[in-house]
Amino acid sequence: MIRYVARRLIGAVPLLLGIATLVFFVVNLAPGDPALYMVSPGMSPEVIEQTRVAFGLDEPVHVRYAKWVGSVLTGDFGHSFTYRRPVLDVIMDFLPNTLLLSACALALAFLVGIVLGTIQAVRQYSALDSSLSVLMLFFYSMPSFWLALMLILLFSLMAQTVWGWPISFPASGMTSTGYEFMGPWDQLKDRAHHLVLPTLSLALVLTAGIARYTRGSMLEVIRQDFVRTARAKGLPERTVVFKHALRNALIPVVTLIGLYIPVLFSGTVFIELIFAWPGMGRAIVEAISQRDYPLVMAASFFFAIMVILANLAADVLYAVVDPRIRYE
Amino acid sequence: MKKLLALALAGAAAACGGDDDGRVTFSDPFCAEVMPRVQDWVAQQHDASPPPDDPRYGGTVVVAGIGELAGGMNAATSQSYEGRQHQEYVNLMPLVNYSADLEVRPYLAESWEVSDDGTELTFHLRQDVTWHDGERTDAHDVAFTYLTVTDPATGFPNAAFWDRYVRGPEGVEVVDDFTVTVRLEPHSEFMDPWTTLGMLPEHLLGDVERSELAQHPFGTVCPVGNGPFVFRSHAPQERWVFDANPAFPEALGGRPFVDRYVYRIIPEGTTLLTELLTENIDVYVMPAPDQAQRIIDTPHLEFRSFPSRNYVFVGWNARRPQLSDSRVRRALTMGTNRAEIVEAILRGYGTVANSGVPPFHWAYDPDLDVDGDYDPEAAAALLEDAGWVDRDGDGVRENADGLPLSISIKYNQGNQQRQSIAEIMQSQLAQIGVAVQPQVVEFTALLQQITAEQRDFDGVVMGWGVEFKLDDTDLFHSERGDAPYAWAGTDNPEVDRLLEAIGAAADREEGMALWAEYQQVINEEHPYTYFYFSQRLSGVNSRVRDLEMDARGEWVNIREWYVDPASR
Repeated sequence: MIRYVARRLIGAVPLLLGIATLVFFVVNLAPGDPALYMVSPGMSPEVIEQTRVAFGLDEPVHVRYAKWVGSVLTGDFGHSFTYRRPVLDVIMDFLPNTLLLSACALALAFLVGIVLGTIQAVRQYSALDSSLSVLMLFFYSMPSFWLALMLILLFSLMAQTVWGWPISFPASGMTSTGYEFMGPWDQLKDRAHHLVLPTLSLALVLTAGIARYTRGSMLEVIRQDFVRTARAKGLPERTVVFKHALRNALIPVVTLIGLYIPVLFSGTVFIELIFAWPGMGRAIVEAISQRDYPLVMAASFFFAIMVILANLAADVLYAVVDPRIRYE
Repeated sequence: MKKLLALALAGAAAACGGDDDGRVTFSDPFCAEVMPRVQDWVAQQHDASPPPDDPRYGGTVVVAGIGELAGGMNAATSQSYEGRQHQEYVNLMPLVNYSADLEVRPYLAESWEVSDDGTELTFHLRQDVTWHDGERTDAHDVAFTYLTVTDPATGFPNAAFWDRYVRGPEGVEVVDDFTVTVRLEPHSEFMDPWTTLGMLPEHLLGDVERSELAQHPFGTVCPVGNGPFVFRSHAPQERWVFDANPAFPEALGGRPFVDRYVYRIIPEGTTLLTELLTENIDVYVMPAPDQAQRIIDTPHLEFRSFPSRNYVFVGWNARRPQLSDSRVRRALTMGTNRAEIVEAILRGYGTVANSGVPPFHWAYDPDLDVDGDYDPEAAAALLEDAGWVDRDGDGVRENADGLPLSISIKYNQGNQQRQSIAEIMQSQLAQIGVAVQPQVVEFTALLQQITAEQRDFDGVVMGWGVEFKLDDTDLFHSERGDAPYAWAGTDNPEVDRLLEAIGAAADREEGMALWAEYQQVINEEHPYTYFYFSQRLSGVNSRVRDLEMDARGEWVNIREWYVDPASR
């Protein structure tokens, strides 16, 4: 197993180099110019030209490429054009926020999705199954940014201004204004409170998909001979469902993690924008529109690494949940 | 799984630091050294001079806008509007500032005088202003700031500020600790740069390489100012937190009424409005015109609108044969119902512009005789006059060589207002025989097309924000014809002469006559179809009192804002 992981990691190196090259040329050959973003009457043209030189944009593309690859290999991603700080510092400001949000959404989606899918499979064709199916389909076909706006409308705006509910959720930000002055326990509660709506908007769509997958996979397993045998042995239904059927039904579901992580990252772009969540997705979109080349390149590179790692993790998990699978 | 979640949350909470009195820790070496000194100083000043016994003192005000304070408090290298507002009124101090009627009044400088020949400007500084780490602000800081911003290596954005000043060490002299002299050529509006340039601390930044200054953590990680508010913390794309400066000079009004001021970044307008309605923010900077009614209709909110310095226009590329004749350009304006467009897309929150001089400005000529009103017949007559006649009956005019009067108007993607302008012009100008093709281009790509040498456009919808010191030289002077901003490609000796005369005018009185003449000439030359000066809008929770917002900006008197004690 360790050898397999090592081999996969080594295999990822040329892949990353290829991604780095592709990202570099896509970003640098796109029309537009980072220095031009500063165009305004308060900005003298000669200063714009000077900025271009300071950014190293006066050099030909191939020279810039060689320099970039060279510095990336030494772990230096350069300075962001817009934040005027080392790109790694900027990414470290935003990445943890995105990871926190995506991890919560992923955890919630899998937890709820698997539970609902299992219930549906066990109670196939019941009223509960059908109504859950309809509900899941409803969430599945909903764009997450729209869902986000609806959640804000209901649980922030209406809950506070019209209905006066005792519970409402903040529409934006990661923490409250007085966060620095709270005790550790209140800080934790405050963070959790702010996580609710963005996590829900990200997770609901995924939950629906996972529930469908789990239901399908579970239905297939539950009809197999070993489950029938387990029942015939007189095992309690609980053990049959959770130990014998569910564990086998989860095998295909687990691989979804690898598939969903890239989906999740693209989903965070809108969610972070709407909920003013200071994350990577928002930073990257802004960086693209401002042609902040170093930040765009480094951020795409990091996302690529994370997707590769997520896929690897899914493959490893696959072996963990299914002892029949061996990587040699 | 729940445990894992709690752990992740706890980890994230711990990573952000902060203890009981809200002290923030900094990892950057410069900040780690400087900020504890600032925090100690503030705590000490706070104990030494508690707020006076007045119900107005206390509370927190939260302002939110869609964008970061780009460049932060680095007055030498940043140029964003919001960033500069915070430098001028919140964290730093310029030498002087503008009153509501745009007269220059003392601020960090108690007084100033100009030598008789107009070549020496001497400032006498206040002696009771300290940087937030306890060092006194003195003439050496002013000299340092001046040397920094006039050195091209720094990349100070508005280099034109110093065109008539003597740059570098020759240009500045420290007379004594609180007196400093700068040298200049006599010109009008020479005080303007000093109203917007926040002074920087020499004792902290004196050793920084000027070309490295833009990247210094001082700007956005841990600025140390001397203004009414002390920097506490900044989480990028999330918020800036400032505390009242307990030692702000009494003569300038003393400490601010609010204890804490927070600027939040919320990129989505719908979310901003929600936060305003649910009272999580007190001020929403720049709501969209279509959100205005909702704010007006909400009892606990106040709606503000005040003149801005931003105008929107369609720039005509006079290098193109269709547009080289000023009569054609004028006809395009007269054939467009600008008043109706402004009413429709700004819901009335704007005024039709006929030049780049804002209506509130002293240089604005209200009696200007312009042919700006919607008059399709006069427009058609002008076109005929210029030799554009529909010769083949296809509804589009041609000139004698058979070139059809067909132009594209480019606008940037995602800007609804500019798209509407291009589309409405298309339909209205079709009626006078001009074929217009609106064309959408991504913003940065569009900037490249119009600034690059090829000038790949006929017409372009753009916006400018002007300084109080108006200067169209980069836009219309023929000598700058190759420079990036010469979109119109204007080549008119009258315009050149007036631009030069305006720059050299000795005072406002002389300037006023020149400006009036200039506005007339620009109207005849017609490089742009000016559309409108928009109003800046604000939604304010009425628990915050005494906000003054005008053409100078939103933050002008933030020191005097206070929170109604009953609703803290």
